[in-house]
Amino acid sequence: MSDTFIVGADMIKFGRYPDSSPFELAADAALLALDDASLTIQDVQAVFAGSTFNSASMVAQRMLQLIGQTGAPCFNVSNACAAGATAVRQAILAVKSGEYDVVLAVGAEKNPRGLMGGALTDGPPPEGLFGSVAPPSFFAEAGMIHVNRYGTTIEQIAQVAVKNHHHSTMNPKAAYQIETPLEEVLASEMIAWPLTKLMCSPNVDGAAAVIIVSEKKAREMGMGRAVRIRGSALVSDPFEPRTPDMFDPNTVARLGAAKAYEQAGLGPEDLDMVELHDCFAVAELLHYENLGLCADGEAARLIDSGETALGGRLPVNVSGGLLAKGHPIGATGVANIVEIVYHLRGEAGARQVEGARIGLAHVLGFASVAACGVHILEKA
Amino acid sequence: MQAQQRGAVREAKGRDLGTASNTIAGPEADLAPKSGHKVVRVGPDGEAWLEASRCSNCGAVMAERTRACRSCGARNTLVPFRPKAIGTLYSWTVVYRSFPGIKVPFVSAVVDVDGGLALKGTLRIDDHDSLKFGMPVRIEFDDAGGAKDKDGRPYVGFHFVAEGASA
Ligand SMILES: [Zn+2]
Repeated sequence: MSDTFIVGADMIKFGRYPDSSPFELAADAALLALDDASLTIQDVQAVFAGSTFNSASMVAQRMLQLIGQTGAPCFNVSNACAAGATAVRQAILAVKSGEYDVVLAVGAEKNPRGLMGGALTDGPPPEGLFGSVAPPSFFAEAGMIHVNRYGTTIEQIAQVAVKNHHHSTMNPKAAYQIETPLEEVLASEMIAWPLTKLMCSPNVDGAAAVIIVSEKKAREMGMGRAVRIRGSALVSDPFEPRTPDMFDPNTVARLGAAKAYEQAGLGPEDLDMVELHDCFAVAELLHYENLGLCADGEAARLIDSGETALGGRLPVNVSGGLLAKGHPIGATGVANIVEIVYHLRGEAGARQVEGARIGLAHVLGFASVAACGVHILEKA
Repeated sequence: MQAQQRGAVREAKGRDLGTASNTIAGPEADLAPKSGHKVVRVGPDGEAWLEASRCSNCGAVMAERTRACRSCGARNTLVPFRPKAIGTLYSWTVVYRSFPGIKVPFVSAVVDVDGGLALKGTLRIDDHDSLKFGMPVRIEFDDAGGAKDKDGRPYVGFHFVAEGASA
């Protein structure tokens, strides 16, 4: 089966858009990606839209209503924080099927405000009564396993936030572009031990889009700025004995990574950069190990070494990550792919990872159950 | 456990109390305490216990009321069992910011309960510095913070306490 290529990729600046609908955000990102590819909406044969909170209102069609109702088929997917990656993967499969040569994948979200979570269950509201069902607590509990097993410290977890916020100062599209020194991260409001507010990704709006084309179309357009999709994996959480009461971000992420590496015929040693799902600072450490960037138990050493900072051996989340760029749920999985594309083309500006040829984008969605999307991209 | 929950109250037959066949239940039956959590079962006399299932095909333990084993997919293999109300602390966090109206801080804990069940709950403990991985805990049933369903039936919940701590 022939390869697929990204020929257009862009995003709007993440942040608060109180006066815009999610459809407008999606439209803005789609137009940016079309312009980037020098294509028009008339060229697009199918649209895949990832949005977690807005999917029910047909985001893709509502977006076309704003930029051109061409009659192209639309697929609206919701898959928690993996919605955007799911849309991209389905777009890739649609091109691989041979039915389409040019498709658009967009992720767009207007997040609800405040702490997310809460149960749909019968019975008394569980928060506080039966532990916590808020996302920070799930990741705190998962992180505490690492703390217990390997002696990881709150300072090491905080260093993830320091690093990613530092990276964001070089990304004009990040929602927040501020340095947060270690003392400031540690001193910010404690949310759920050991996660302070600056170790939690901010709840913002946003949209990102990519144009995916067949090899035939890519050659026709010229390969100059094209990015080859080497691996595209989407998995769900397999049964694990302590789930769902004990949230397990690891098994599903390892499964997704293994599938993507296998498809790509590559391993973690081949990567030049990674954008991973740092919804909470401790998640980045867990995913260092889940993605095979270091051996189990070595994540804290890896952050301490500086190797995952810009200029290091394997920069992680040079966009600022979810922690600083912001986390508009359904947009995130497209935005981290957009970031990799910027770098593989050498167009990432001050935060450019020098000589980047291969990058990995990872997202993890969860809502008592979980999904993981992993894409491996290569400069064509 | 509150005294009135222990009172001999007739078990409400069936859960569809609104249907015609069930509306003959007397007012006291409507006030029988009911489970407020997936692992809690409440008997006709108000006595509460934990219940989970173990798959006779693959051995997996689960608290959810599933349609088949969620580990191996086998049907009709889930055998209910009653874990003892004891366990060990597997992980925890101290929650300082929660949903509006929820009293903080509190300890959100995941406990390895007797029999292979993992259970999330609130661990009532004053000294957070005394939290230790693997520490023994006990499960105590409670009135779920006084919560009642829309008909006024009280829920039975649970919380964890450190083993050896007084209730
Ligand atoms: Zn089974």
